[in-house]
Amino acid sequence: MIEAELIEKKTAKDYGFFKFKLSEKLENPDAGQFVMLKALDEPILAKPFSIYSYKNKNLTLFIKRVGRLTGKIFSSPIGEVFYIRGPYGTPYIETISREKKYILIGGGSGIAPLNFFSELYPELVYKKLYGFKGGYIRELFEEEQSTLVIEEESGKTVVDVLVDVYSEEVGILACGPIPMLKNLPHDSYVSLEAVMGCGIGTCKSCAIKTKEGIKMVCKDGPLFRKGEIQWEWI
Amino acid sequence: MGVDLSVEIFGLTFKNPLVLASGPAGFGFELQQYLDISRIGAITLKTITIMPREGNAPPRLVDTHGGIINSIGLQNPGIKEFVRTIAPRLKDLKTIKIGSIAGFTIEEWKILGEEMDKIKEIRAIELDLSCPNVEGKGMWAKDEELTQEAIKAVRESTDKPIIAKLAPDVTDIVKVAKKAINAGADALSIGNTIEAMRINIETGLPFLKLKTGGLSGPAIKPITLARVFRVAEALKVPIIGIGGVMNWQDALEYAMAGASLIGIGTAIMVDPQAPLEILHGIESFLRQKGIERFKDIIGIAHRGGF
Repeated sequence: MIEAELIEKKTAKDYGFFKFKLSEKLENPDAGQFVMLKALDEPILAKPFSIYSYKNKNLTLFIKRVGRLTGKIFSSPIGEVFYIRGPYGTPYIETISREKKYILIGGGSGIAPLNFFSELYPELVYKKLYGFKGGYIRELFEEEQSTLVIEEESGKTVVDVLVDVYSEEVGILACGPIPMLKNLPHDSYVSLEAVMGCGIGTCKSCAIKTKEGIKMVCKDGPLFRKGEIQWEWI
Repeated sequence: MGVDLSVEIFGLTFKNPLVLASGPAGFGFELQQYLDISRIGAITLKTITIMPREGNAPPRLVDTHGGIINSIGLQNPGIKEFVRTIAPRLKDLKTIKIGSIAGFTIEEWKILGEEMDKIKEIRAIELDLSCPNVEGKGMWAKDEELTQEAIKAVRESTDKPIIAKLAPDVTDIVKVAKKAINAGADALSIGNTIEAMRINIETGLPFLKLKTGGLSGPAIKPITLARVFRVAEALKVPIIGIGGVMNWQDALEYAMAGASLIGIGTAIMVDPQAPLEILHGIESFLRQKGIERFKDIIGIAHRGGF
C-alpha cells in the first residue's frame, strides 16, 4: 500500500476536503476511479473514495463523515498517515459516449468524481449541478458557487433543477444518493456507491443486479446506465 | 542460510504454507493482477454449488471492531458453468488449486465431488461444510452425523485428497473433527467465519440484508487458534488453520498450534499484497531463530516450545 500523508484539510460540519501527499505515484488515475483508503489499525477494512483531484502525487478527496473511518479522517491532525491502493474501477470515459456533452449531477460527496471528470474532460461538460441540503456547504467552495444547488435556500433539489435545463441532446452523468439517482431520466449514466471489501472484483461484496445478471460495482462499474440496473434489489 | 518453507501433506508439496482462503480471492484471475499467485502455496477457489447462485442482496458487508461481517451468500456460477468456463483457465494460476464445493443434499455433494474429480488442475477438494450465509440451509458442520455423510459421499466420488472445512463455533470441535476423519477426510480446515451481526441504531434494523453474517478478521483469531490447538492435540491429521491471519505473527501462531497450512482471507481483502509480507515475515523470523525448515515449528506448542 502507498503511504498517504494528510497535508491539508478544510471541513464544514460533516463534509470536507482532504489533501494527501502520496509516497508513490498513482498509475494514470482517471475520472470515476477510486482509491481504497485505510487507517493503520481500526477499522480493519479499507474503504473506497472517489478521486476529487489528483496532481503530482497530491490526492484530494471530498468526504462526508459517515462512519468510523471517515470519522477518523475528520479528526486526524495534519501529518497523519493513512494507506491507499488503487486506482480501481472503470474510468467513466470508457463507458460513456464521447459524442455528447454531459450535465454533471452530483449529490453530496457524489460530486467528487464529477469534479475530476470536469478537470480532465472540460470539453464534455455542458453544465454542473452540485446538490446539498444545507447552505453551510458554500464556505467549502470558492469557484463552484454558481453550480451549487442548495435545497434549504431554493427549496429545490438537483433533480428539480435538472427539469429546467434538460434537453435530449445532452447526456446525464450523475453520482449521489440512491433516491436521487432513481429520479433521473432512464438513459442517464449513474455512478454507484457500494460497501466494498477488496475493490478489485474478487470478494463479491459490492454486488448489484442488472439486466445482464449480477455485476460488481468495483470492477464492472462504478458507472452504469440507469435503465440497466434492477433498483429494487439495492 | 536459506529457509525451507515447503510443506508436504496428503501427497502434495506446497512451496510454502500460505493458502488463499476460499472466498476473498475469487477464482484468482482478478487477484492475479495485484498479487503474484505463483508465490503463494495454494489457492482455494470460491465455493461452487450445483445451481448458479446470485448471492444475497446488498448490503453484504459491514465492519465491526476487530473484524468484518459478510453475507455474500455463495455467489457463484454453478458447477456446469465452472466446468465450462473457469476450469479450462485454471492452468494460468501457477500454484496448487484446491476446489471448494457446497452441497445442499447428499446427492449434491456426490455430484460436486464427481465433477471436481474430473478437473485435472484441481489437486484437492475442500468441502465447505460451514458457510453461515445461506438462507434456509442448516450448517452441515454443526451436526457431526451430517458432516460424516457429506464427506462419505464425496469420498466415494473422488480419489483426490479431501479437506473438511469445519465451523469453529460448535460445542465440541474435536468430536466433529474425529467424525470427519473417520468418514474419509484427508485434512481439516479449521475454521470458517462465525455467525455475527450488527444493528444500525438509526434505522433500528440489521445492517446486513440477510440480518446475520459471518465474522472474520482479528476478532476471531484467538477463537479459531484454540480450535486448531485442540484438534491438533487430539488427532494426527493435517490442519489448515484459518481465521484472522493479518500478519506473519498470526501465521506463526497457527503453525505453532499445529496447522500445517495457513489460510488467509480477510487480509487479502484489506491488501492484496498482504500474503507476500506474511511470507517474508515468516522467513525472517525462522532465519533469526536459526530454524532451517518451516515444518519444524508446526505444532511446536504441543512439544514444549523452543
